[in-house]
Amino acid sequence: MIVPVGVVLALSAVLFGIGVFGFLARRNLILMLVSIEVMLNAVNLSLAGFSRHFDDPRGQILALFVIAVAAAEAGVGLGLVIALNRNKPGASVTDLTELKW
Amino acid sequence: MTFPAAQAAFYYMAAASVTSAILAVTRRNPVHSMLWVLALFLHVAGIFLLLDAEFLAAVQVIVYAGAILIFYLFVLMLLDLPGEVAGPRFGPHWPLAAAGGIGFAALAWLALVGTFHPAGAGVATAAVRAPGEDPPLGNLSQVGMALFGPFALPFEMASLILLAAIVSAVVLARRRTQP
Repeated sequence: MIVPVGVVLALSAVLFGIGVFGFLARRNLILMLVSIEVMLNAVNLSLAGFSRHFDDPRGQILALFVIAVAAAEAGVGLGLVIALNRNKPGASVTDLTELKW
Repeated sequence: MTFPAAQAAFYYMAAASVTSAILAVTRRNPVHSMLWVLALFLHVAGIFLLLDAEFLAAVQVIVYAGAILIFYLFVLMLLDLPGEVAGPRFGPHWPLAAAGGIGFAALAWLALVGTFHPAGAGVATAAVRAPGEDPPLGNLSQVGMALFGPFALPFEMASLILLAAIVSAVVLARRRTQP
Protein backbone atom coordinates (compact mmCIF):
# COMPACT_ATOMS: atom_id res chain seq x y z
CA MET A 1 0.00 0.00 0.00
CA ILE A 2 1.44 3.31 -1.04
CA VAL A 3 0.28 5.20 2.05
CA PRO A 4 -0.72 3.94 5.51
CA VAL A 5 -4.41 3.25 5.87
CA GLY A 6 -4.64 5.86 8.63
CA VAL A 7 -3.90 8.60 6.12
CA VAL A 8 -6.77 7.48 3.90
CA LEU A 9 -9.11 7.28 6.90
CA ALA A 10 -8.04 10.74 8.09
CA LEU A 11 -8.68 12.19 4.64
CA SER A 12 -12.08 10.50 4.66
CA ALA A 13 -12.88 11.96 8.09
CA VAL A 14 -11.89 15.47 6.97
CA LEU A 15 -14.01 15.23 3.83
CA PHE A 16 -16.96 13.94 5.87
CA GLY A 17 -16.60 16.85 8.28
CA ILE A 18 -16.63 19.31 5.38
CA GLY A 19 -19.78 17.64 4.11
CA VAL A 20 -21.42 17.90 7.56
CA PHE A 21 -20.55 21.59 7.70
CA GLY A 22 -21.96 22.19 4.22
CA PHE A 23 -25.17 20.34 5.01
CA LEU A 24 -25.75 22.22 8.26
CA ALA A 25 -24.67 25.68 7.13
CA ARG A 26 -25.89 26.12 3.55
CA ARG A 27 -29.42 27.36 3.04
CA ASN A 28 -29.82 26.29 -0.58
CA LEU A 29 -31.60 22.93 -0.77
CA ILE A 30 -29.64 21.74 -3.80
CA LEU A 31 -26.30 22.56 -2.18
CA MET A 32 -27.39 20.70 0.94
CA LEU A 33 -27.99 17.62 -1.24
CA VAL A 34 -24.59 18.11 -2.84
CA SER A 35 -23.05 18.20 0.65
CA ILE A 36 -24.64 14.80 1.24
CA GLU A 37 -22.86 13.61 -1.91
CA VAL A 38 -19.57 14.88 -0.48
CA MET A 39 -20.23 12.88 2.70
CA LEU A 40 -21.07 9.74 0.70
CA ASN A 41 -17.87 10.18 -1.26
CA ALA A 42 -15.89 10.36 1.96
CA VAL A 43 -17.45 7.08 3.07
CA ASN A 44 -16.62 5.48 -0.28
CA LEU A 45 -13.04 6.60 0.17
CA SER A 46 -12.73 4.91 3.54
CA LEU A 47 -14.39 1.76 2.14
CA ALA A 48 -11.87 1.65 -0.70
CA GLY A 49 -9.05 2.21 1.80
CA PHE A 50 -10.23 -0.67 3.97
CA SER A 51 -10.68 -2.84 0.89
CA ARG A 52 -7.07 -2.22 -0.07
CA HIS A 53 -5.87 -2.63 3.51
CA PHE A 54 -7.54 -5.98 4.09
CA ASP A 55 -7.11 -7.20 0.50
CA ASP A 56 -10.80 -7.90 0.24
CA PRO A 57 -13.05 -6.83 -2.66
CA ARG A 58 -16.14 -6.55 -0.45
CA GLY A 59 -15.31 -2.96 0.42
CA GLN A 60 -15.47 -2.03 -3.24
CA ILE A 61 -18.80 -3.87 -3.63
CA LEU A 62 -20.19 -1.90 -0.69
CA ALA A 63 -18.95 1.34 -2.26
CA LEU A 64 -20.75 0.42 -5.49
CA PHE A 65 -23.99 -0.02 -3.52
CA VAL A 66 -23.39 3.34 -1.87
CA ILE A 67 -23.10 4.91 -5.33
CA ALA A 68 -26.38 3.26 -6.41
CA VAL A 69 -28.17 4.56 -3.32
CA ALA A 70 -26.65 8.02 -3.93
CA ALA A 71 -28.11 8.02 -7.43
CA ALA A 72 -31.55 7.09 -6.05
CA GLU A 73 -31.25 9.76 -3.36
CA ALA A 74 -30.34 12.40 -5.94
CA GLY A 75 -33.37 11.50 -8.05
CA VAL A 76 -35.87 11.61 -5.20
CA GLY A 77 -34.30 14.66 -3.54
CA LEU A 78 -34.23 16.73 -6.70
CA GLY A 79 -37.80 15.67 -7.50
CA LEU A 80 -38.79 16.99 -4.08
CA VAL A 81 -36.90 20.24 -4.74
CA ILE A 82 -38.75 20.69 -8.04
CA ALA A 83 -42.11 19.98 -6.39
CA LEU A 84 -41.35 22.48 -3.62
CA ASN A 85 -40.18 25.04 -6.15
CA ARG A 86 -43.51 24.75 -7.95
CA ASN A 87 -45.41 25.72 -4.80
CA LYS A 88 -43.00 28.39 -3.62
CA PRO A 89 -40.27 29.74 -5.92
CA GLY A 90 -36.73 29.61 -4.65
CA ALA A 91 -34.71 26.82 -3.13
CA SER A 92 -33.92 28.26 0.28
CA VAL A 93 -34.79 26.31 3.41
CA THR A 94 -35.57 29.55 5.24
CA ASP A 95 -38.61 30.03 3.00
CA LEU A 96 -40.10 26.69 3.98
CA THR A 97 -41.68 27.71 7.24
CA GLU A 98 -45.25 26.54 6.64
CA LEU A 99 -45.05 23.81 9.23
CA LYS A 100 -43.40 25.98 11.88
CA TRP A 101 -45.52 26.96 14.83
CA MET B 1 7.27 -1.34 -2.95
CA THR B 2 6.53 2.23 -2.06
CA PHE B 3 7.94 4.66 -4.51
CA PRO B 4 7.68 8.38 -3.94
CA ALA B 5 5.87 9.26 -7.18
CA ALA B 6 2.72 7.42 -6.14
CA GLN B 7 2.93 8.91 -2.66
CA ALA B 8 3.34 12.39 -4.07
CA ALA B 9 0.33 11.77 -6.33
CA PHE B 10 -1.71 10.61 -3.34
CA TYR B 11 -0.84 13.62 -1.23
CA TYR B 12 -1.52 15.99 -4.14
CA MET B 13 -4.95 14.40 -4.68
CA ALA B 14 -5.70 14.47 -0.96
CA ALA B 15 -4.85 18.18 -0.71
CA ALA B 16 -6.74 18.99 -3.90
CA SER B 17 -9.85 17.10 -2.82
CA VAL B 18 -9.93 18.78 0.59
CA THR B 19 -9.44 22.19 -1.03
CA SER B 20 -12.13 21.63 -3.64
CA ALA B 21 -14.55 20.29 -1.00
CA ILE B 22 -14.04 23.40 1.14
CA LEU B 23 -14.50 25.63 -1.90
CA ALA B 24 -17.60 23.65 -2.93
CA VAL B 25 -19.42 24.24 0.34
CA THR B 26 -18.40 27.89 0.65
CA ARG B 27 -18.80 29.39 -2.83
CA ARG B 28 -21.65 31.85 -3.24
CA ASN B 29 -22.59 30.93 -6.80
CA PRO B 30 -24.21 27.47 -6.86
CA VAL B 31 -22.82 26.67 -10.32
CA HIS B 32 -19.29 27.36 -9.08
CA SER B 33 -20.01 25.04 -6.16
CA MET B 34 -21.05 22.31 -8.59
CA LEU B 35 -17.86 22.71 -10.61
CA TRP B 36 -15.75 22.42 -7.45
CA VAL B 37 -17.67 19.27 -6.54
CA LEU B 38 -16.79 17.97 -10.00
CA ALA B 39 -13.11 18.63 -9.23
CA LEU B 40 -13.55 16.81 -5.91
CA PHE B 41 -15.10 13.76 -7.60
CA LEU B 42 -12.32 13.54 -10.18
CA HIS B 43 -9.62 13.75 -7.52
CA VAL B 44 -11.36 11.09 -5.41
CA ALA B 45 -11.45 8.91 -8.53
CA GLY B 46 -7.68 9.38 -8.78
CA ILE B 47 -7.31 8.26 -5.16
CA PHE B 48 -9.42 5.17 -5.97
CA LEU B 49 -6.96 4.40 -8.78
CA LEU B 50 -4.05 4.65 -6.35
CA LEU B 51 -5.90 2.31 -3.96
CA ASP B 52 -6.14 -0.38 -6.68
CA ALA B 53 -9.87 0.13 -7.15
CA GLU B 54 -9.93 0.74 -10.90
CA PHE B 55 -13.55 -0.28 -11.42
CA LEU B 56 -14.65 2.00 -8.60
CA ALA B 57 -12.68 4.85 -10.17
CA ALA B 58 -14.39 4.30 -13.52
CA VAL B 59 -17.83 4.16 -11.86
CA GLN B 60 -16.98 7.31 -9.91
CA VAL B 61 -16.13 9.21 -13.09
CA ILE B 62 -18.99 7.83 -15.22
CA VAL B 63 -21.83 7.69 -12.70
CA TYR B 64 -20.94 10.38 -10.17
CA ALA B 65 -19.24 13.01 -12.29
CA GLY B 66 -20.97 12.10 -15.51
CA ALA B 67 -24.55 11.41 -14.48
CA ILE B 68 -25.40 12.54 -10.95
CA LEU B 69 -23.55 15.85 -11.07
CA ILE B 70 -24.98 16.74 -14.50
CA PHE B 71 -28.41 15.95 -13.09
CA TYR B 72 -27.79 18.39 -10.24
CA LEU B 73 -26.61 21.02 -12.72
CA PHE B 74 -29.72 20.51 -14.86
CA VAL B 75 -32.02 21.01 -11.88
CA LEU B 76 -30.02 24.03 -10.74
CA MET B 77 -30.37 25.65 -14.15
CA LEU B 78 -34.03 24.58 -14.41
CA LEU B 79 -34.88 26.34 -11.15
CA ASP B 80 -33.06 29.53 -12.25
CA LEU B 81 -32.08 31.15 -8.96
CA PRO B 82 -30.84 34.66 -9.80
CA GLY B 83 -31.20 35.89 -6.22
CA GLU B 84 -28.93 33.20 -4.85
CA VAL B 85 -25.73 35.19 -5.45
CA ALA B 86 -27.04 38.27 -3.67
CA GLY B 87 -28.33 36.68 -0.48
CA PRO B 88 -26.31 35.27 2.39
CA ARG B 89 -25.05 31.80 1.61
CA PHE B 90 -25.03 30.50 5.18
CA GLY B 91 -27.72 30.56 7.81
CA PRO B 92 -27.08 32.57 10.98
CA HIS B 93 -26.16 29.36 12.78
CA TRP B 94 -23.08 28.63 10.67
CA PRO B 95 -20.52 28.72 13.52
CA LEU B 96 -22.51 25.94 15.16
CA ALA B 97 -22.43 24.03 11.87
CA ALA B 98 -18.66 24.52 11.61
CA ALA B 99 -18.24 23.24 15.16
CA GLY B 100 -20.39 20.24 14.29
CA GLY B 101 -18.36 19.45 11.18
CA ILE B 102 -14.99 19.81 12.92
CA GLY B 103 -16.25 17.84 15.91
CA PHE B 104 -17.52 15.03 13.73
CA ALA B 105 -14.28 14.87 11.76
CA ALA B 106 -12.23 14.75 14.97
CA LEU B 107 -14.52 12.07 16.40
CA ALA B 108 -14.31 9.95 13.25
CA TRP B 109 -10.55 10.37 13.20
CA LEU B 110 -10.27 9.23 16.80
CA ALA B 111 -12.67 6.36 16.30
CA LEU B 112 -11.09 5.06 13.12
CA VAL B 113 -7.44 5.66 13.73
CA GLY B 114 -7.45 5.21 17.48
CA THR B 115 -4.74 7.76 18.09
CA PHE B 116 -3.32 10.63 16.11
CA HIS B 117 -0.60 8.30 14.97
CA PRO B 118 -0.60 8.62 11.17
CA ALA B 119 -0.06 4.94 10.44
CA GLY B 120 -3.48 3.97 11.76
CA ALA B 121 -2.62 2.38 15.09
CA GLY B 122 -6.23 1.55 15.90
CA VAL B 123 -6.81 -0.42 12.71
CA ALA B 124 -6.21 -4.15 12.50
CA THR B 125 -3.09 -5.23 10.71
CA ALA B 126 -3.16 -5.50 6.95
CA ALA B 127 -3.64 -8.75 5.14
CA VAL B 128 -0.37 -10.37 4.18
CA ARG B 129 0.15 -11.36 0.61
CA ALA B 130 2.50 -14.10 -0.43
CA PRO B 131 5.41 -12.77 -2.47
CA GLY B 132 4.93 -13.34 -6.16
CA GLU B 133 1.19 -13.71 -5.80
CA ASP B 134 -0.91 -11.51 -8.06
CA PRO B 135 -2.76 -8.75 -6.29
CA PRO B 136 -6.33 -9.99 -6.07
CA LEU B 137 -7.86 -6.53 -5.93
CA GLY B 138 -8.72 -3.93 -8.50
CA ASN B 139 -9.66 -6.69 -10.80
CA LEU B 140 -12.87 -6.21 -12.73
CA SER B 141 -13.60 -9.90 -13.12
CA GLN B 142 -13.27 -10.45 -9.38
CA VAL B 143 -15.63 -7.59 -8.60
CA GLY B 144 -18.05 -8.99 -11.17
CA MET B 145 -17.87 -12.50 -9.74
CA ALA B 146 -18.53 -11.18 -6.24
CA LEU B 147 -21.39 -9.01 -7.48
CA PHE B 148 -23.14 -11.90 -9.21
CA GLY B 149 -22.15 -14.55 -6.68
CA PRO B 150 -22.52 -13.85 -2.96
CA PHE B 151 -23.86 -10.34 -3.56
CA ALA B 152 -26.54 -11.23 -6.09
CA LEU B 153 -29.46 -10.45 -3.78
CA PRO B 154 -28.19 -6.98 -2.73
CA PHE B 155 -27.44 -6.29 -6.39
CA GLU B 156 -31.04 -7.02 -7.36
CA MET B 157 -32.26 -4.97 -4.43
CA ALA B 158 -30.18 -2.04 -5.69
CA SER B 159 -31.97 -2.29 -9.01
CA LEU B 160 -35.32 -2.28 -7.20
CA ILE B 161 -34.27 0.80 -5.23
CA LEU B 162 -33.31 2.56 -8.46
CA LEU B 163 -36.66 1.61 -10.02
CA ALA B 164 -38.51 2.98 -7.00
CA ALA B 165 -36.44 6.17 -7.23
CA ILE B 166 -37.31 6.61 -10.92
CA VAL B 167 -41.04 6.16 -10.27
CA SER B 168 -41.04 8.44 -7.23
CA ALA B 169 -39.08 11.15 -9.03
CA VAL B 170 -41.61 11.12 -11.86
CA VAL B 171 -44.55 11.18 -9.42
CA LEU B 172 -43.04 13.98 -7.33
CA ALA B 173 -41.96 16.25 -10.16
CA ARG B 174 -45.01 15.75 -12.36
CA ARG B 175 -47.17 18.78 -12.99
CA ARG B 176 -50.65 18.00 -11.73
CA THR B 177 -53.23 18.93 -14.35
CA GLN B 178 -56.40 18.35 -12.35
CA PRO B 179 -56.90 19.24 -8.68
